[in-house]
Amino acid sequence: MSANTYDAIVIGSGISGGWAAKELTEKGLKTIMLERGRNIEHVKDYVNATKDPWQFEHRGGRTQEMIKDYPVLKRDYPLNETNLDYWASDKDSPYVEVKRFDWFRGYHVGGRSLTWGRQSYRWADFNFEENAKDGIAVDWPIRYKDLDPWYGYVEKFAGISGNKDGLPVLPDGDFMPPMEMNCVEKDVAGRFKDYYKQARSLIIGRTANITVPHYARTNCQYRNKCWLGCPFGAYFSTQSSTLPAAVATGNLTVRPWSIVTKILYDKDTKKAKGVEVLDAETNQTYEYFAKIVFVNASAFNSTWILMNSATDIWPDGLGSSGGELGHNVMDHHLGVGASGTVEGFEDRYYFGRRANGIYIPRYRNLGGDKREYLRGFGYQGSGSREGWSSGIAELGVGGAFKDAITEPGKWTMGIGGFGETLPYHENKITLDKTVKDKWGLPVLSFDAEIKDNEKKMRLDMENDAKEMLEAAGVKNVKTHSSNPFLGRGIHEMGTARMGRDPKTSVLNGWNQVWDAQNVFVTDGACMTSAACQNPSLTYMALTARAADHAVSELKKGNI
Amino acid sequence: MNRRTVIKNLALVLSGAVLLPSCLHSDGATFIQLKHIQLNAGQEKLIGDICETIIPKTATPGAKDLKLPAFVLKMLDDCYNKKDQEAFLAGLVKFTDMVKAKYNSSFSDLSVKDREAVLAGIENSAKPDNGAKAPARRRRPQKHLQDDPLMAFYWDIKQQTIFAYTTSQYFMTKLVFYDMVPGRYIVHYPVSKLKLA
Repeated sequence: MSANTYDAIVIGSGISGGWAAKELTEKGLKTIMLERGRNIEHVKDYVNATKDPWQFEHRGGRTQEMIKDYPVLKRDYPLNETNLDYWASDKDSPYVEVKRFDWFRGYHVGGRSLTWGRQSYRWADFNFEENAKDGIAVDWPIRYKDLDPWYGYVEKFAGISGNKDGLPVLPDGDFMPPMEMNCVEKDVAGRFKDYYKQARSLIIGRTANITVPHYARTNCQYRNKCWLGCPFGAYFSTQSSTLPAAVATGNLTVRPWSIVTKILYDKDTKKAKGVEVLDAETNQTYEYFAKIVFVNASAFNSTWILMNSATDIWPDGLGSSGGELGHNVMDHHLGVGASGTVEGFEDRYYFGRRANGIYIPRYRNLGGDKREYLRGFGYQGSGSREGWSSGIAELGVGGAFKDAITEPGKWTMGIGGFGETLPYHENKITLDKTVKDKWGLPVLSFDAEIKDNEKKMRLDMENDAKEMLEAAGVKNVKTHSSNPFLGRGIHEMGTARMGRDPKTSVLNGWNQVWDAQNVFVTDGACMTSAACQNPSLTYMALTARAADHAVSELKKGNI
Repeated sequence: MNRRTVIKNLALVLSGAVLLPSCLHSDGATFIQLKHIQLNAGQEKLIGDICETIIPKTATPGAKDLKLPAFVLKMLDDCYNKKDQEAFLAGLVKFTDMVKAKYNSSFSDLSVKDREAVLAGIENSAKPDNGAKAPARRRRPQKHLQDDPLMAFYWDIKQQTIFAYTTSQYFMTKLVFYDMVPGRYIVHYPVSKLKLA
């Protein structure tokens, strides 16, 4: 075996790449994980994780210099002083927006597994069936029963805390003990149940924060500083979870600063033989060879790699033969919800900062409900007490005012919707060869937007939020609806969808590229529809399932 | 790694952290080299005195003791865009002129009572007409007042002073309960236990 030859190559080190590396190495495959950015070592490199608020120069805020340097990231909350190093440079890696698309990326070992929201929900069977039922796009090639055991498998290892709520719309998983609702959330949940009975549910969030010790990881310490990296390893990330497992096998090599520019396709065997890597530090080009390639570069970068590959056979890239590569861009549309105040709990507070909230699973277009749009939405929210500075616009100066601002503010309860976006063929990404990144590589051009179905849904998301909070006794409820742009959900999906027919999809039911069956795409790119649940848990399950299939096929000599 | 070891490691990391040194005049008004805006010593002193009027030294430290004016200026210098900085500076001039016209004195030479009256006067003039309370999270109490540089000047200082105060080490460790590593989540925790002072 030559120095650059492995059994398997994994492109990307985020949530799905970490899982691919773990599964493949544990099954005995010598594996190299290629990461385009720098290394981030668990605990040691979480440089801001143990700082107190007053130790940040701008107390976490954003400077004009940061705003100038990050023209995309500045559009929403991710641009901040505390974890700037965990976001890709907009300047080094630009992209083109035919229509606005907020692309928030993490280019480093661990990817966005370090910064993700950790909410972890299974899909239900109807989520896999709806495309076929509605005549939208193409049918998923799999059903819930195909993924059910793999959900359990990844939940057990990743560590998901949650309550077994027994809801048909949101299957229970293999959970650690749930986190607890605070006094206001319990109050709201009680009245919510009285009003909606079984028709709608308000449950504690299911989150990838462990509530009991798990392997070498310490249970959640309720710091709520997850996105700085957790020194306790209390939330699932590549670094805390899959990477140490993969390293422990002795079969893993990790190569940071490795931009995969293309998959090397062998037209005689009709398979990939390896990948080409551009070293991001030296600009040298290398080739790596393997029997199988897992593409986990994050949805649109996975598709970017395919678009740059095998162009001598297919001008639009590997996987483009069915005409769907780069199409069906999806995300969850959000920015719509409501909040209000809750009275009667002024003497109560909470101890600890819970990095989790409540969840209201989808109820629209289910169980006989029929709206003027397809699909639906869920809500995340929480009850919380406003901080000390809530007195800021209140009137007053001097000693009495100074004392008053040590009192906590009002209790508030807020919820925000996560809406399903349909897979539209015309919502697409393409290569723009006229614009180059820092390494001289062509960049992606985005041409995607929400359409009538999503716009109608957003009206319901806003009105329902108000109605539900008021029904649950929340006062002074105000709604909000803003920024209806794709990308900011940071749940990019589609562009290399799974399907049953190579003429209308990019991947088969095992995440294999139809045109090169030893290439597997198991990140958000593979999604055939978006549902409204946070998607990462589903990527984990799909990845573990695909890795199992890959090794089995490899052993049978089929790939 | 167990919790005890991790906390020990955290303590090691923390003990290595050093707060930025600041360079104070004896009156606490001049602090850091500003990069984008220019203020003379008198103007810096004025800002410091406004901070101190909002958060005065009482039985507990005041704005100047806690070096809040330095933070206010740092935020103004680094985080505000040019337009907002210009509005701030225009407001500073307007503020100075207003005090001069009314008291024939500089703000810094006024008694505490008069200083409070000046600031209360600005706040009262910003009150919504219908007597409703100002929304808590907006930068200025009423949107239309954002165009008035006097309001920009005053509310920028007030907002940043309170932000600085409530996130200061003193406030978070001596006045209210704050724990770097709570370790658990207790849903019924009485408010009475939050205040330390």
